[in-house]
Amino acid sequence: MTITIAAVEVHKRFGGVLALRDVSISVAEGQVVGLIGPNGSGKSTLLNVMAGVERPTAGRVVLDGKRVDGLPAHRIVERGVAKTHQIPRPFLGMTTEDNVTVAALYGSWKVRDPGAAREQARKVLNLIGLDGQADALAASLTVQTRKRLEFGRAIATGARILLLDEIFAGLSPDELREAIRLFTHVQEEIGFGALVVEHVMPAVLTISEHVVVIEEGRKIAAGTPSEVVRDPNVIEAYLGTEAARAAT
Amino acid sequence: MADASVIVAQVIFGLIRGILLGCVFALIALGLNLVWGIAKVVNIAHGELVMLGAYGAYFLNLFLGFNPLLTAPIDAALGLAAGLGFYFAILHRELRGKEAITLQSEMVTLVATFGLSLAISNLANIAFTGNFVGIPFDAGSIEIGFLQIPLAGIYVAVLSVVIISLTHVLLNRTYLGNAIRAYSQDIPAAKLMGINPTAVAAIGTGLAFAVTMAGGAFLTTLFPTGINPYMGALYAPISYVIVVLGGPGRMWGSLVGGLTLGIVIDVGQIFLGVEIAYAVAFLLLIPVLLLRPEGILR
Amino acid sequence: MNFGRLLRSAPTLWGLAGFLVVLAVWGPWIPTFVLTLLINLLLFASLAYSMNFIAGLTGYVSFGHVVFMGTGAYAWGYVVGTFGWHPLAGIVAGAAVGLALALGIGSVALRFRGVYFAIATLVTALAARNIILVIPALGDGQGIILNLGFEPLTWFYTIWVILGIQVGLTYWVTHGRIGYGLRAIKSDEDAAKALGVDAARLKLFVFAFSGLFAGAAGALNVWTLSGVFPEPAFDLLFSLQMLAMVIIGGMGTLLGPLLGAVAVYLPHNYFLTVAVGAEFIVIGILVTFFALVVPQGIVGALRRYVPTLRGIIE
Repeated sequence: MTITIAAVEVHKRFGGVLALRDVSISVAEGQVVGLIGPNGSGKSTLLNVMAGVERPTAGRVVLDGKRVDGLPAHRIVERGVAKTHQIPRPFLGMTTEDNVTVAALYGSWKVRDPGAAREQARKVLNLIGLDGQADALAASLTVQTRKRLEFGRAIATGARILLLDEIFAGLSPDELREAIRLFTHVQEEIGFGALVVEHVMPAVLTISEHVVVIEEGRKIAAGTPSEVVRDPNVIEAYLGTEAARAAT
Repeated sequence: MADASVIVAQVIFGLIRGILLGCVFALIALGLNLVWGIAKVVNIAHGELVMLGAYGAYFLNLFLGFNPLLTAPIDAALGLAAGLGFYFAILHRELRGKEAITLQSEMVTLVATFGLSLAISNLANIAFTGNFVGIPFDAGSIEIGFLQIPLAGIYVAVLSVVIISLTHVLLNRTYLGNAIRAYSQDIPAAKLMGINPTAVAAIGTGLAFAVTMAGGAFLTTLFPTGINPYMGALYAPISYVIVVLGGPGRMWGSLVGGLTLGIVIDVGQIFLGVEIAYAVAFLLLIPVLLLRPEGILR
Repeated sequence: MNFGRLLRSAPTLWGLAGFLVVLAVWGPWIPTFVLTLLINLLLFASLAYSMNFIAGLTGYVSFGHVVFMGTGAYAWGYVVGTFGWHPLAGIVAGAAVGLALALGIGSVALRFRGVYFAIATLVTALAARNIILVIPALGDGQGIILNLGFEPLTWFYTIWVILGIQVGLTYWVTHGRIGYGLRAIKSDEDAAKALGVDAARLKLFVFAFSGLFAGAAGALNVWTLSGVFPEPAFDLLFSLQMLAMVIIGGMGTLLGPLLGAVAVYLPHNYFLTVAVGAEFIVIGILVTFFALVVPQGIVGALRRYVPTLRGIIE
């Protein structure tokens, strides 16, 4: 039994600003979906709505056939969906292993015993290649390692679908290649579904089977990576009108 | 019928007194609001500043015969010095070099000022003795029908509103004000514009202390025998409620919050008694935080 | 063999247990004067552990904890004075009222973060005191006077039991699954929620313990005074002392509240006969110093600067 999370006709208003207008998107377990769009287009807001951090102003979030919008974030995690933060938020005073252990203890695995949870945490750290830093304080980790830890914590909740907010941002080309290799490896190993938010396109296009593009809170295109890059709307949003005219 | 007219008279008098008191409350809360809004520091020793302002007025009156209204500028000057000292002795250590003031920093300064509050009030208790004292001051009163309104109360209320307005102008129309507001919103951006964050935070804190101590001096005219080392324990929570009501960082909010509290306390005690009126005033904070965490304005 | 492993794995817990056992065995032979001092010290420690549950473990600083002490005290005075309950049963009533009140106040106030929580708890305590002042059944502001006699040994063992339970609970809460959740909340509540931690429930859970023990301690305190009066029962200085003890000793640690209680009780008791109120000058300066320079408290500082103690004290 695989699960699916879907945002259906979601609107989100902050004061006078309409951050999302009528956006629908769905991700199934095992599937990698890319969500791209310029800065400020509403990507993170959509992720927050799906993760239960924000309530949609209108529309629904459906997980495994049940409405989950309005549920607090931890209930969504309990049901197998976990989100990472764009800027990693590790528990700075705790070790890398303890950070991941929290996720294992409170996620959807329902491991109640700290010993067993630590065991799980170590497995996850192995998988993402952080086992060497298990005992390091999170405060001592570099930004890139913190991003990896953020990813590891989300996995350790036992999530079957991950909502990943810009985990590939700010990497050098070499680091990006390595990160994509790691992501694909872990994804194949565990088989989770993922909604991958990026504003850098190449990473998303390599790993996603389906891509959705939003601009100013509106969905402007959706399809396979190769369809999306040829879409005039997308070219315009990313490169401006001139480029769009030149491309057609 | 006679009963009803007595109650009406009481309510009108309570309303007027509440408005006068509310203006001074607003001034006192403005001092808290400034530090809160600018440096994200909730000064638990705020009540002790009010107390020191009141004692400043008392001693200047006792030894030099100053009119309590004239003691306010001297108090304000002392407050400015105290604020600068406080910034560099206590806050600078925690705030320097910070790009944003985190919850952790807020808690550090909260606890640090809590310790100060404890030390200052008890030091004052030893230095000034615990007796209630006051300033004999009667500026006469005006009569409107059956109402007698003390002129001193009107003076301090008007002066309080003037000071609040001037602060508003300072923050919104001057270079220093722009710098202070820039600092309070985005420290790195303020730095890029050439603003020295330490100078701005220190001056803001000095300004806040000056206003608070002047407010303490004004209070002495409203409460003839209300000066006591522990009086801060009342004015600090009143100020917290006012700032939350008006919204931290909003100067006019302090006036709205101050008037609300003044009226609730002075009209409320006619019907509920002093204890419950104050309890209601304090508990106003809870629904406001639940329903309008940004304050009741807008 | 298992016992030895347990001993090595939790030296602080066993140290505290040993300390309590020594006190219990020595109890009947302690001179009365020393006994009264010890009762007060243990009462301070109990209040510190109570505050530690919320301020220490979650970082939510409560200025209004005296409200639990005060209502616990009044509950004790009321059931003992009006219904003639045994004072020990009154302690249970005080604990129950503290617990109920903590659940009520906590379910609202714990929604507010940081300074807002601190202020909300402060005004709640002030309002509660004003309300108690006008309730006729609770003495109309005059208080309830009871004449129950001087029973230091009973008081001693009562506070001993309360403190023992608190130490055990603190260990249990910090070492299991809950401990991980609490540390996560204290570090970054939103990030904790994103990993599935039910922050609202966990906070209320420890706040309830906090209120329960403050209620029990408040009841015991007025038993030793043979009467309940609004001013001492709701004296905000109790809240502030509770906080001071936890800050000085080390927030969220197992040993810290006891060390903090000693650090606050010594000046408290010394100045009692020299200059009343002067103790708060010392305590206040200590709090400011610790907040700015040693935010991790005595226990944290020892762990940091004395490596050999790192594996021993917590």
